[in-house]
Amino acid sequence: MLSETYVLFMRETKRWVGRKPVLIVSLITPLFWVLLFGKSFNITNMINVGDLALPQEYYAIALKIVEAIRFRVFEIFGSQDYFTYMASGMIVVMTLFQGTFSGVSTVFDKRLGYMSRLMVSPIRRESIYLAKVAASVFRALVLSLTLLMVAYIAGFKFKEGFTVIDLAAAIVVVTLTSLTFTSIFMLVGFLTDSHEVIFSTANLVNLPLMFTSSALFPISQMPEWLRVIAGVNPLTYASDLVRYFLIGKSMSDPWLVFAALAAASLVTLVVCMKLSVRALDK
Amino acid sequence: MAETSIEAVKLVKQFGPLTAVKGVSFKVKKGELYALLGPNGAGKTTTVKMLTTLLKPTSGEAYIEGYSVLRDTIKVRRIIGLIPQDLTADDEMSGWENVLIQAKLYGYKGREAEERARRSLEIVDLWGAARRKVSTYSGGMRRRLEIAMSLVHDPQVLFLDEPTLGLDVQGRRAIWDLVREFKKNGITIMLTTHYMEEAEALSDRVAIIDMGEIKAEGTPEDLKSKLGGDKVYIEALTPEEAAEAFSELGQRGFNVKLENSTVIVKVSNAATSLPEIARVLSERRVKAVNIVRPNLEEVFLELTGRRLREEAFDSFRFRVLSHKIR
Ligand SMILES: Nc1ncnc2c1ncn2[C@@H]1O[C@H](COP(=O)(O)OP(=O)(O)OP(=O)(O)O)[C@@H](O)[C@H]1O
Ligand SMILES: [Mg+2]
Repeated sequence: MLSETYVLFMRETKRWVGRKPVLIVSLITPLFWVLLFGKSFNITNMINVGDLALPQEYYAIALKIVEAIRFRVFEIFGSQDYFTYMASGMIVVMTLFQGTFSGVSTVFDKRLGYMSRLMVSPIRRESIYLAKVAASVFRALVLSLTLLMVAYIAGFKFKEGFTVIDLAAAIVVVTLTSLTFTSIFMLVGFLTDSHEVIFSTANLVNLPLMFTSSALFPISQMPEWLRVIAGVNPLTYASDLVRYFLIGKSMSDPWLVFAALAAASLVTLVVCMKLSVRALDK
Repeated sequence: MAETSIEAVKLVKQFGPLTAVKGVSFKVKKGELYALLGPNGAGKTTTVKMLTTLLKPTSGEAYIEGYSVLRDTIKVRRIIGLIPQDLTADDEMSGWENVLIQAKLYGYKGREAEERARRSLEIVDLWGAARRKVSTYSGGMRRRLEIAMSLVHDPQVLFLDEPTLGLDVQGRRAIWDLVREFKKNGITIMLTTHYMEEAEALSDRVAIIDMGEIKAEGTPEDLKSKLGGDKVYIEALTPEEAAEAFSELGQRGFNVKLENSTVIVKVSNAATSLPEIARVLSERRVKAVNIVRPNLEEVFLELTGRRLREEAFDSFRFRVLSHKIR
């Protein structure tokens, strides 16, 4: 079963690499977000004494206040600049976007008959699902890492004492998050024969999930009701974990959350795989 | 069991209110070429899908080489090859990649997988185009690629669902030659078609299927002889002259019919009866003489009251076109 999965995984990946324009387009949107929005929304610079004509004795106090505010900003965002905060969130949002559209390739394989070719082959149905999920997770990972690299060039600030182990941990978090989203939305691809269903589900889900999480804005600044929603949004935990490892923003029980994410992604994978296989055999 | 390769037992398939296949039963012997001949919507593809484990029958059973298509699905898939009506190759990849993946899915590795992929492509004469993207292939090449993809594991039983639909004469000949070659190698073949020439040219036995039911089954010869031999159409210049010929032929013991100025003579073999008929005609003015040998088209007409290819929508051409447009 593993070797079948690998063969099918390679097919998906080859197709993806073969389509350079699609690859570039899927990178452009998040890059724009991070570079244009993240860079221009520069909170730290918004708060300064500037050239207020203050008497000398007040000036020192003003500087103290600015410093206090900046410290508060750091507390809230875990970083002095919003760009770093947002980029670390976008790495995770990227896996959501990639995941919600993952069912498209399944629908196309069904429509173009490739799926029936697979169905008469003596392979486990599970490997069809697993290969597609693995390929989509791989794509998300490549895109997320590219985003991180570009962000780094553009001034992303890692935490002090950042090591390869932190990076590895962040990659595992991104992988598990991607696995969760992809497993769920790949199932949609196995259930439907129409790509419109995929596109509308993706559009329905993407923005609400992104805005009701800590990916773009800190939870602590949200109204109570929104905070409740964000508290059950897996994106929140994933972004918090990525920030914990990359920029050192503190969070409670990171390792517990890490374990929960791992468990959740595996359970989702198994359940959605079973349902997908059943959908194939109808 | 050893003698029977494919066995269908009262296969039924229902799609909602529509019963596409209504209790179809037949047996195909090892090495035999069996054709399902029927018009659009007759239930050919549905039957093939049930035999190849792609569709679960609503009721009934089927066995391939003794393995149940319901319970031994993996074993059945290992020994069958399916060339489906709809194309299945990934047209963003090359022919070579498509076939190689197929070989690997059947568990062959490394050199052996490559060897098998190469051999399959050579058999269908696509080795020269193997590195090209499938999207650049012609309709005939695509069909042959489908066949190559189904050959990598040396199937014992081959299903071809309308393998020549939408191909020109040359493309059709190429496929026919391949099918004959497979048969020579002892592969059991089940072929569906709505071209009666195809069924006649290739098959050992034919089943005529219409509205989900098998209407008749037998060798092409059997089916045709049920219709009662050849017909000689004699077209006289005037109805009067036709009537004279009619009565004279009748006196000589021929089975004759008169339609306006045409006399229709039914004989068991036109070649042996023609000299005598010609003698009768020698003193009369005749516009034309036509000999019609019975064909499956007429058998079909007789059995169902409809022609086979009336409204044949060329869905294969359509697919190739839409592939290209995309
Ligand atoms: N998945 C399906 N859902 C509903 N009806 C179906 C389905 N597949 C086939 N049918 C119906 O079953 C009938 C038989 O279809 P089938 O494809 O077996 O015919 P066929 O003999 O292969 O015809 P053709 O020569 O056009 O390929 C048709 O009326 C068709 O509309
Ligand atoms: Mg059909």
